[in-house]
Amino acid sequence: MMDAVPNPLNQPGDPRDRGGPAQPLLSVRGLVRHFPVKGSGFLKPKKVVSAVDGVDFDILKGETLGVVGESGCGKSTTARVLMQLIRQDRGELLFDGESVGGTLPLRDYRRQVQMVFQDSYASLNPRLTIEDSIAFGPRVHGISPRVAIDRAHDLLHRVGLEPGRFAGRYPHELSGGQRQRINIARALALEPRLVILDEAVSALDKSVEAQVLNLLLDLKRDFGLTYMFISHDLNVVRFMCDRVMVMYLGKVCEIGTRDAIFDTPGHPYTSALLASMPKMDPAERTKVPPLSGDPPNPIDPPPGCRFHPRCSFSEDICTRMPPGVSSAKTQHSVACLMAEPGGLHSRAPALQESGS
Amino acid sequence: MMNPMIEIDNLSVTFNRGRKPVQAVNGVSLSVKTGEVVALLGESGSGKSVTMRSLLRLHPKGTTITGRMQVAGHDVTALSARQIADFRGAVASMVFQEPRLALDPVYTLGDQITEAIMRHEKLGRNEAFERALALFEKVRIPSPERRLKTYPHEMSGGMLQRAMIAMALACNPRVLLADEPTTALDATVQIQILLLIRELQAEYGLSVIFVTHDIGVAAEVADRIAVMYAGRIVEEGAVADIIRNPQHPYTQGLLGARVELAGHRDRLVTIPGAPPDLADMPKGCAFAPRCVRVMEACGQAVPPLTGTKGAGQVACLHYA
Repeated sequence: MMDAVPNPLNQPGDPRDRGGPAQPLLSVRGLVRHFPVKGSGFLKPKKVVSAVDGVDFDILKGETLGVVGESGCGKSTTARVLMQLIRQDRGELLFDGESVGGTLPLRDYRRQVQMVFQDSYASLNPRLTIEDSIAFGPRVHGISPRVAIDRAHDLLHRVGLEPGRFAGRYPHELSGGQRQRINIARALALEPRLVILDEAVSALDKSVEAQVLNLLLDLKRDFGLTYMFISHDLNVVRFMCDRVMVMYLGKVCEIGTRDAIFDTPGHPYTSALLASMPKMDPAERTKVPPLSGDPPNPIDPPPGCRFHPRCSFSEDICTRMPPGVSSAKTQHSVACLMAEPGGLHSRAPALQESGS
Repeated sequence: MMNPMIEIDNLSVTFNRGRKPVQAVNGVSLSVKTGEVVALLGESGSGKSVTMRSLLRLHPKGTTITGRMQVAGHDVTALSARQIADFRGAVASMVFQEPRLALDPVYTLGDQITEAIMRHEKLGRNEAFERALALFEKVRIPSPERRLKTYPHEMSGGMLQRAMIAMALACNPRVLLADEPTTALDATVQIQILLLIRELQAEYGLSVIFVTHDIGVAAEVADRIAVMYAGRIVEEGAVADIIRNPQHPYTQGLLGARVELAGHRDRLVTIPGAPPDLADMPKGCAFAPRCVRVMEACGQAVPPLTGTKGAGQVACLHYA
């Protein structure tokens, strides 16, 4: 993946690279973000939405990390905290070994992390022309207007829009696919190292989606980027990502390499998500829904394992004991009592004698 | 009884708002038999929703509709305002994409469903409420009695879509029109709703038109698929034929662009370009500017749908 066009940035020898290729680009430790529920707390019990409730993961240099889960699982909140659009209640972000907001000032951090949102229209300023939108970030960071505009034209060219035709247009004059290309160009204008794509292709038509996915792959190779790719479409995630993280109700329930997650899912929720994808073969239609009920409300999540009310393997122990993440293998870790060796669940594997 | 339940013949819909008239649907013919599920598949702007909305005449004033539409023996274009109000809900009803926008936020779900029942049938409030309760049980809403007394904002998207389906079925219609009913839902909920629609369709013998942009969804629910592009049907046939052996270059492109097929390739096969501007359509085949198999004749005239009805039809000069 890294063997592409030589580029001083995001390549070995990039002056911004501190820890070398083995150090994760971004480490997230114990991230917690709760939102108070309006109208609770005065003469009523105080309620909070546990949008993100103790999340740990790493984004490795040069990889694409996919994040999947149902609505309300906290994937967008996680993305917004990573961007520091909202601050975490607890937890720490380490960007290339430096503490964000500590040794690494926010202003420097934000130059290196950019985001593309789902709604391509709402995320562009309708009063700015395309070139002004793309040049806005660099100008804020002190680059002269002329250089910023030149760079905007170059980026427009890179995302497949001819600068001569498009630079002076306004967002409403473009189609959804073109606007999303603009958003991608804008995200790249500050030469970031990490780009967070929050459902960036979900609103596009299938034929346009394929074009934008190809573009993202090309840009990743040419600029040596790292992606965090949030999507509800497992097929797209399977195509795009090196590793995948599955979230449920504010917690990580499984994280591992793409092949591990798709071929040997360890968590019952991951299996159910995979089985919920529509089958392309009319002869093999789904007979029974893999999961019943809607994703539960992140206000007052259930005790123990959060998935237990919808899990078909649920036992008494699951209602009482929250599973830890089995972090023995970094390739693939699962937060389920059935995956804990020597655990109290009847399906848990037996504990292996150490040293055998 | 041998007549098809829905017969659309050469339907065209033109919106006269804005600077230029926009012809959103351009000579669509489609028939749906009793108890058949047809998926209208297409990208945004292909005219799939507009075609379906024409069946209930849901377009704004000033829209020009030409062609003939028969639904369960009613000539939809000839009905008076009063008659079309009787027709909506009782003969054909619709499930929308966004139940949160389609339902009234200031009335409880129970009130909205009983109102619909009482509008169409001579029933007292209590009897109508009983039927609403039975419907909620039918669509498997947990604790239905309590749910009937809730407002739309108190329910999750999946539950609201179930309520919407209950409402659509309240007056025993013969035709169900579903406009991307699962697009706004999570995959785990989507499959539940698809299975529910399939089950109710079989039980009531409904004819269903199911509008979707997702081939996977069409493969899960439909008996037949009609593929639309730029206001026209370009291919139509049995679901297995369309998926296994697509004929039209556009359908082939759509199926080929799916990420599932990419396997370990590092790039997707794509259809170049973008759909045409409906206010400024090319003269011949609308897909010609993006087509990999384009010939000179493609730019001259619009190819008609050829083939036998039922066995599959395609609108492409390569098969004419």
